[in-house]
Amino acid sequence: MGGRFLHTLAVSALVVSCMGYGPMDEERFDTGLSDAGSGVTGRGLFILNEGHFMYGDASLSYYDTERRAVENEVFARANAQKLGDVAQSMVIRDGIGWVVVNNSGVIFAIDANTFREVGRVKGFTSPRYIHFVSDEKAYVTQIWDPRICIVDPSSFSVTGYIETDMDYDSGSTEQMVGFGDYVFTNCWSYQNRILKIDTRTDEVVDELVVGIQPASLVLDCNGKLWTVTDGGYEGSPYGYEAPSLWRIDAETFKVERRFDFRKGEHPSELQLNGAGDTLYWINDDIWRMEVSADNLPVRPFIEYSGTLYYGLTVNPVNGDVYVADAIDYDQNGTVLRYSPDGELTDSFTVGITPGAFCWR
Amino acid sequence: MKKTVALLFSLCAALVCAAQEDGVRDRGGWWNGNASYIVPIPEVSVTGRRPMKDIGVQKTELDSVVLRENVALSMADILTFNSSIFVKQYGRATLSTVAFRGTSASHTQVTWNGMKINSPMLGMTDFSMIPSYFIDDAALLHGTSSVNETGGGLGGAVKLSTRPADADGFGLQFVQGAGSFMTFDEFLRLTYGDSHWQVSARAVYSNSRNDFRYTNYNKKENVYDDEHNIIATYYPVERNKNGAFRDLHILPEVYYNTGRGDRFGLQAWYLDSKRGLPMLSVDHREESDYRNEQRERTFRGILSWKRIRGDYKLGVSGGYVHTAQAYDFERSLGNGNMATMIASRSKVNTVYGRADAEYVVRDKWLFTADLSAHQHFVESADRNVLDLNSQSLAQGNGKRVVVGYMKARIELSAGVSAKWMPTERLGFSAVIREEMYGDKFSPVIPAFFADYKLSKRGNVMLKASVSRNYRFPSLNDLYFLPGGNPDLKPEHGFTYDAGISFATGREGLFALSGGATWFDSYIDDWIVWLPTAKGFWTPKNIKSVHAYGVELKLNTDIRLARDWQLGGDAAFSWTPSINNGDPADWADRAIGKQLVYVPLYSASATGRLTFRSWRLIYKWCWYSERFTTSDNNMKSRITRVLPYFMNDVSLEKAFSFSWSDLSIKAAVKNLLNEEYESVLSRPMPRMNFEIFLEIKPKFKQRKTDR
Repeated sequence: MGGRFLHTLAVSALVVSCMGYGPMDEERFDTGLSDAGSGVTGRGLFILNEGHFMYGDASLSYYDTERRAVENEVFARANAQKLGDVAQSMVIRDGIGWVVVNNSGVIFAIDANTFREVGRVKGFTSPRYIHFVSDEKAYVTQIWDPRICIVDPSSFSVTGYIETDMDYDSGSTEQMVGFGDYVFTNCWSYQNRILKIDTRTDEVVDELVVGIQPASLVLDCNGKLWTVTDGGYEGSPYGYEAPSLWRIDAETFKVERRFDFRKGEHPSELQLNGAGDTLYWINDDIWRMEVSADNLPVRPFIEYSGTLYYGLTVNPVNGDVYVADAIDYDQNGTVLRYSPDGELTDSFTVGITPGAFCWR
Repeated sequence: MKKTVALLFSLCAALVCAAQEDGVRDRGGWWNGNASYIVPIPEVSVTGRRPMKDIGVQKTELDSVVLRENVALSMADILTFNSSIFVKQYGRATLSTVAFRGTSASHTQVTWNGMKINSPMLGMTDFSMIPSYFIDDAALLHGTSSVNETGGGLGGAVKLSTRPADADGFGLQFVQGAGSFMTFDEFLRLTYGDSHWQVSARAVYSNSRNDFRYTNYNKKENVYDDEHNIIATYYPVERNKNGAFRDLHILPEVYYNTGRGDRFGLQAWYLDSKRGLPMLSVDHREESDYRNEQRERTFRGILSWKRIRGDYKLGVSGGYVHTAQAYDFERSLGNGNMATMIASRSKVNTVYGRADAEYVVRDKWLFTADLSAHQHFVESADRNVLDLNSQSLAQGNGKRVVVGYMKARIELSAGVSAKWMPTERLGFSAVIREEMYGDKFSPVIPAFFADYKLSKRGNVMLKASVSRNYRFPSLNDLYFLPGGNPDLKPEHGFTYDAGISFATGREGLFALSGGATWFDSYIDDWIVWLPTAKGFWTPKNIKSVHAYGVELKLNTDIRLARDWQLGGDAAFSWTPSINNGDPADWADRAIGKQLVYVPLYSASATGRLTFRSWRLIYKWCWYSERFTTSDNNMKSRITRVLPYFMNDVSLEKAFSFSWSDLSIKAAVKNLLNEEYESVLSRPMPRMNFEIFLEIKPKFKQRKTDR
């Protein structure tokens, strides 16, 4: 009688209580690139999948360009924890990948070969990008916080701030490039400037007004900064104009050329090839242009295929082009791989809303 | 906290000892006039005519036993355990929305005393902001049946209302609740009534630190050696961060009945809420560095007149709603000051009017007509931005402007219906509704209903209905900056349902009723917000959805023995809600898949065991896995919300003294101490407790004691 009762109780407990929520299993990975050191091999590609905003389902995928094999959710699988909310950007330095997770307020440092965490930096408001000035100093830009954080990578800590003249409710800094003793960053959200920072004093020493909302920033082989603005949006009290591509001389910090798009277009994701002599960007289609060109191209490199491309990168070694297709932003996205001639050579499924890449 | 609970238990024990005899002997003035929770089981009539207004209608009514079960429950909690509709709760005392039959929250229309209370900005209603103690009658109108009340309910409608307290002289009720996580709930109701006047004033005040502990499986903490090498990791036990809340609700009501068929009513509901928005479990920021808070002040007032004569009813009501909402996201500057990062403000003023009439012709025909108007005035202001001309280091920050919109929109809805019962068994109903939002008219919204009493024995009824329906975009859908899309079309669809129901029983012994309903809906131009290349989101009409399924419900009350009663309610839903739209591109794997966060299966059950003045309530609910991705990815380690079971139990005891009635109740939520998430990265509390003490002093009655 007692046994039957216990049996009934056990079955009842199962019926009312199986939920399966708990720890994740840890897996071991090895990319086989542990001897790569700090050089970029073009053999491994990290894909940052933003995930849904406020779902905490950002993820990291890794694609082996030679084996054409992808592993998804590698951070979660290697560390038995979630990456966080909105994976924004990643930089690899000396075999360590620094993954900026915007809405979790954290930067994870991972072994780029095993994906295992080696440390983390906290104390940010809303980090966007990290740029290494030296082994002892890195800058981290933020949105909703006008300050640029100064980070000591060796101690994984925020050691100070670069102050700007912006306010918290409208200040933002984005991508960074280094040129000599200076770092340049574009101010995107409700801004229109490029800031010049002296890395010796950690101070903003100059600024340059460009168009409304410069969204990307790269430095070409000729020492020219390139930024593309999105022009704002219709109804914005900050203004709405045609987007534009700007060439700025990094030495003189003066605008050299401006290429205008049509109003309503939305160029984004400005990228350079490995040699730094060809620009790529998304504007519905995928476009490319030599940095010495006098006019915007009239024909796209890869034609729009009915969806909104969300991320773009170029293999710095062989020039293959990778385009992230977020599909409906609500499911696992797809990355399309094209040869330098624009021929589709592979496609693979990654995580939700793939938006940024990092080369190994 | 433990001392408070111990004190309450001691008090309870003392009361039990003091009132044991008295409570059984004195049956004056408590539940249904005695000190017992036993509810008389009524006779199930086999000859009585069913209300003509309900011909073919699929309706779930929540009675006062359900609504009054716990002073601290919101309507979201009540619907979770007592209906087949899906309640999406983002956490304890946070946004809770409801959705019928695989549709979305904005497809559920919600009325309070006839006035729509869906936010005109968002289109949805937050049910965590509606205390169940402020609702005297609640009915769920499934699918087509909502067209009888209003348009836009592609999933259905929730009809909430208050009614006179039926007081005789003065009455007072006070309930004090104290529970886990420093939760305190106070409820007060004052009533006065005579044959003409019924006056009531209710107030609810709830506050909680809401800092429950949970093991965070989404995050690991590292243990480092002196050289900053990770030597160990563990899942931290964390507290729910930034989840404190404080809600105040006040509801005065006045009703006047002339006794000659005219009734007047005035209800005024004021709420003042301040709630932290809990941080995600994947947030690595420190709680003390941030303030992430939502505040709301809302006033809803309705004045109404009803005339009921032999063969007709007339009603006119007018109302006003004012809502002011604020959302602040601030960061500590480390010097005691906070820097504002986001400051959103919105104000909604709504003027409401409604007239309705019913006319009966020889008990065979019922004609109804209604006309309602909601005039909204909305101001939405989001974050300050710098003026373009002041962008320079030298000039600093200059003129400020605001991103937002200011819009007014009138929403008219007019409906007429004819209901015909050619025989006692057979009924037909036709409804025609027309709506106007702003300057846009909906096409005619038709609905047809039929029912047939298959058997008088067992009251076996067959019901069927069909309707076409439209839902206009919300004001945020159209005008929100950035991203609002003024070119959006209304969502529209067809709904069919058919069902069978029965009710049987023997007076005083048992009652058993139940029903099964099949439904089938097609919704086109479903509005979805999608990201843009510019970093903001915009709504588009993209999805076509086929939602279908089955709803089952069963209710019973059984008198087990003298002074023993057993009651139970159960509901089950199977709701495939399938994305039938065109693929976004060749890689789209979402077509033919279940919509995000819509459970395929859900069930709930409540059992009530009553012995005289003791009552034990056990509640259970279950949701099958809800997908968080449109491709229903089940291989992921990080995007799954696994099946969810929940068990709650409460035990209460009533006492009756010559000077007052008292009751004490202990409630346990999450009885099996489950660790779970209802929405990704939003932890839910494990087992928690609350104790309630209720007092109802006995004032001298105007007439004889009941």
